[in-house]
Amino acid sequence: MKTLRLPKSPKVILGLGIVGFFILMTVIGPWLAPYSPSATNFAANLTPSTHHWLGTTSLGQDIFSQLLVGARATMVVALVAGLVATILSVTIGVAAGYLGGLPDDGLSLLSNVFLAIPGLPLLIVIDSYLPVNSRSNSFVIGLIISLTGWAWGARVLRAQTMSLRNRDFVEAARIIGEKRYRVMFSEIAPNLLPVLASSFLFTVLYSIGAYVTLAYIGLTSTAVWNWGTMLYWAQANNAPLSNEWYWFVPPGICIALVGTGLALVNFGIDEFINPRLRAAGLTSRQRRKLGLPRRVRLGFTPVLHAAKTPRVNASPAKLASQ
Amino acid sequence: MIARRLSLYALTAWVAITVNFLLPRLMPGNPVQTMIGKLTGQVTPAEMNAIQLSFGGSFKQGLFAQYLTYLTQLFHGNFGVSITLGAPVGAILRESVPWTVGLIGFSTIISFGVGTFAGALLGWTRGSRLDSLIPTATFFQAIPYFFLGTVMLIVFASNLHWFPVLGAYSQNVTPGWNWAFVGNVIRYGELPVISIVFSSVAGWMLGMRNMMITMVGEDFVLMAVAKGLPRRKVIMHAARNAILPSIANLSLAIGLVVSGALLVELVFNYPGVGDLLLQAVLNEDYPLIQGIFLVITLTVLCANLIADVVYLALDPRTRTEAAV
Amino acid sequence: MSADTFDIQAVSPPNARHAVHGLREDDVAAGVGGNEFVLEVNDFSVDYGVGANMVRAVNDVSLNLRRSKVLGVAGESGSGKSTLVYAMTRLLRAPGVISGGNVTLTFADREDEKAFTTLNLVTATEKELRKIRWTHVSVVLQSALSALDPVLRVGREFDEVLKTHRPDMTKAQRRQRAAELLTMVGLDDDRLSRFPHEISGGQRQRIMIALALALNPDLVIMDEPTTALDVVTQREIIGELSDLRSRFGFAMIFITHDLSLLVELADEIVVMYAGEIVEHAGAGELYEAPRHPYTLGLLNSFPPLHGPRRELTGIPGSPPDLSDLPAGCNFYPRCPFKMSRCEHEAPTLTAIDGSDRSVACWLHSPDSPVPVPVELSRTAHPTRDPVTSSEERP
Repeated sequence: MKTLRLPKSPKVILGLGIVGFFILMTVIGPWLAPYSPSATNFAANLTPSTHHWLGTTSLGQDIFSQLLVGARATMVVALVAGLVATILSVTIGVAAGYLGGLPDDGLSLLSNVFLAIPGLPLLIVIDSYLPVNSRSNSFVIGLIISLTGWAWGARVLRAQTMSLRNRDFVEAARIIGEKRYRVMFSEIAPNLLPVLASSFLFTVLYSIGAYVTLAYIGLTSTAVWNWGTMLYWAQANNAPLSNEWYWFVPPGICIALVGTGLALVNFGIDEFINPRLRAAGLTSRQRRKLGLPRRVRLGFTPVLHAAKTPRVNASPAKLASQ
Repeated sequence: MIARRLSLYALTAWVAITVNFLLPRLMPGNPVQTMIGKLTGQVTPAEMNAIQLSFGGSFKQGLFAQYLTYLTQLFHGNFGVSITLGAPVGAILRESVPWTVGLIGFSTIISFGVGTFAGALLGWTRGSRLDSLIPTATFFQAIPYFFLGTVMLIVFASNLHWFPVLGAYSQNVTPGWNWAFVGNVIRYGELPVISIVFSSVAGWMLGMRNMMITMVGEDFVLMAVAKGLPRRKVIMHAARNAILPSIANLSLAIGLVVSGALLVELVFNYPGVGDLLLQAVLNEDYPLIQGIFLVITLTVLCANLIADVVYLALDPRTRTEAAV
Repeated sequence: MSADTFDIQAVSPPNARHAVHGLREDDVAAGVGGNEFVLEVNDFSVDYGVGANMVRAVNDVSLNLRRSKVLGVAGESGSGKSTLVYAMTRLLRAPGVISGGNVTLTFADREDEKAFTTLNLVTATEKELRKIRWTHVSVVLQSALSALDPVLRVGREFDEVLKTHRPDMTKAQRRQRAAELLTMVGLDDDRLSRFPHEISGGQRQRIMIALALALNPDLVIMDEPTTALDVVTQREIIGELSDLRSRFGFAMIFITHDLSLLVELADEIVVMYAGEIVEHAGAGELYEAPRHPYTLGLLNSFPPLHGPRRELTGIPGSPPDLSDLPAGCNFYPRCPFKMSRCEHEAPTLTAIDGSDRSVACWLHSPDSPVPVPVELSRTAHPTRDPVTSSEERP
């Protein structure tokens, strides 16, 4: 079991910070909100002020409260959809990669088909056939989102499983007679974790986009507050063209920030998976001080201009004898 | 090799068609029957017939018989009749699909080109100041397409007046293959295309960058330097190999771009399929929804096929399955 | 420290013109840069990383390579042999850094055979390096499959290098040259239109060799070119290399961990351990009469095909950790002949037997408390030593 290394890259730390912040918003947002998001008893179309940090909508609702409360549904649905989709992709991907042969052919075909059909149109079609009362059930929405989002992860996990299956340590486990599912669980699964984590984050990213888009089009129930619904109402009331930026910009920015945070964390995982991507060595200032060129050019090994230090071996006695 | 991909796409098309057929029947409440029930009296008998046929004919037949009717109708081009617009779905789509294909096509080509070029540069000059592009591009990629489109519309068209505001062409130009019209179309298309490009370029860029970095660590690139080749040629060696996975991933990317572009059409009032779809959804115009879904899927599959052919042409290792 | 001195024959004839790049006047006066040596390395050091985490992979190496001679560089993985050779030609990848020393390459102009140019590779600019790359120094990498661009036909690789350095050649001429080169290594020229993955390993390696010789370089560097091949093909290729070398007169540096390959091919062998040269001798001498305990260990690790059966001993212990080397001799922990002096004092590379041979071992120092072990004092037959071939040794 590899020891967990704390991420050092600033990108990853920033990403984790952003995601953490929004998870916090999800948990305590509704509690922090000054007013109920649906309450219409305020003056309409107010610009931001101390009473209403983001102003009010055309119906007189407090936008800031909507933002805080809306975080929960948006994040939860995205996480649930991501989770379900990842479970699907793990099951199908790992099974396909490990079992090989006919099961692999069948499962791969299934993944490829789902991959080729464009996600959003499919989502729209499925959603449009849903009876209206189902649309308010976030769980159902999350479920259909995951149905359209699992295929990519399955393909990646299948590829990774296939490459792991032929490794020596798996062979060894098989030879000593470990049962198939045990091999899959205790030998292959731990090595899949980075790819799995990356796939999960990517799927959550996709799910947020899908959910927000569905809400924006009006295919989810407006009874549930989420950032997409805010954008729906903003668009319906012509907020963009009326320059009511405080209505439609904040939810969009929040979505973008969550997405960016997830992507940044994904960077870190990518670098973990592919060591070549890790930044090697020194900052450019350090390099300049040592007389090295700012960037290492392939095929032009840099030459240190600083005075050469003698080789230092373990014991000071060696230095003393020189 | 191509035969395999072709059969995959044929299969996918079949699945899409079948899903289209099964979905209304799987949903609780049998929406199609309800719809047809509601429509009686609202549409002409001829239209009624067409709609019913496009869904598989009389519901009194067995499921399989309905399926066969559905398929036959499809092959004859009967996609049904749009409830809201009163015209055959096929005719409606023939008008709007070219706009969508044009928009998405141009955007993807530009985005791919710019993205892979920038990615190659970023991968090669790793550690330079250019790396600051990465978080910016990541941020843009996380913004929903329609949001970015809206913001761009407000800032650049409405406020700064750098671009025309809505539509595909201005009112005072006559459509047709004349220079004035084409020029006008390009002008109106600029901002939507820019919006889609900004939203999608990060994906290409980052993928290409990662592959480029991997390639730089490969021996054949070191060989190219050892040979004393000019720097440009060394980069080409790496880039030619690095671009392959991007092309292989085109299928996934196109799906995402299409989804996003549909919404951008909405924002910019572009006469493509996007707005149609939205209206159809809001009005429960099932024939139209189905038709649009099928057309989009088939177009995406075609694009995938083209991408696959290009990949096969570029990577010689796919041609001979086993090395000697 | 280095065993080489320049006697009068080493100074270039007075009527040969010199173009000297990167050398100081007194170097030229001392005969450095004369055309006898194609490569001269002085006090060369290479580090990985800088600052606190720095690891020295090559420490103060000096050696010379005469024109048309073969130098074998032998050692375990991690001994620094590859690092040394790649860094010498500035091809070492990050985080490698050259931390000191000079590497001078002396080569003849294309037009005027008598005009020699000397270039210090350590101080050379990118432009200068590009000019001499492949034209005067070429490389054969370990794995031909990864060294050839997988999406290009083999012929393109030839065409590319010829086009870059011989812009006056027409396309047809380039094609012809490529075909010539393939014939030279015994391949049909239809290989040119194939992709790397369509060609067998042995053939690929031959193509790499042909490619390396495309511009008739002064020096060819071979990085374990036969490691990935089966023994039979290995033998063939070594033989072909020998052949090609006598035909075209290029010098060769052959990196390997397998000393037995070098015995026939190399003129001189340098054995490296922990980034330093521990022994430098003629090939035959080294093989028959090793002087350093590590060399002995290496030789004993490979059973010869002929000759009496020997007990395989190998070398106890594990390769050294370059970031945590012992005080004193680097080989001390694994040496079967260690003395107390070895623990605290690092031996330097010194000439022995009054010849061009050198070894870094206290056993051979004149004031050594113990006699030289039997295994390390064998006599070599004086046939293949290139410098002192006529000398008899006790």
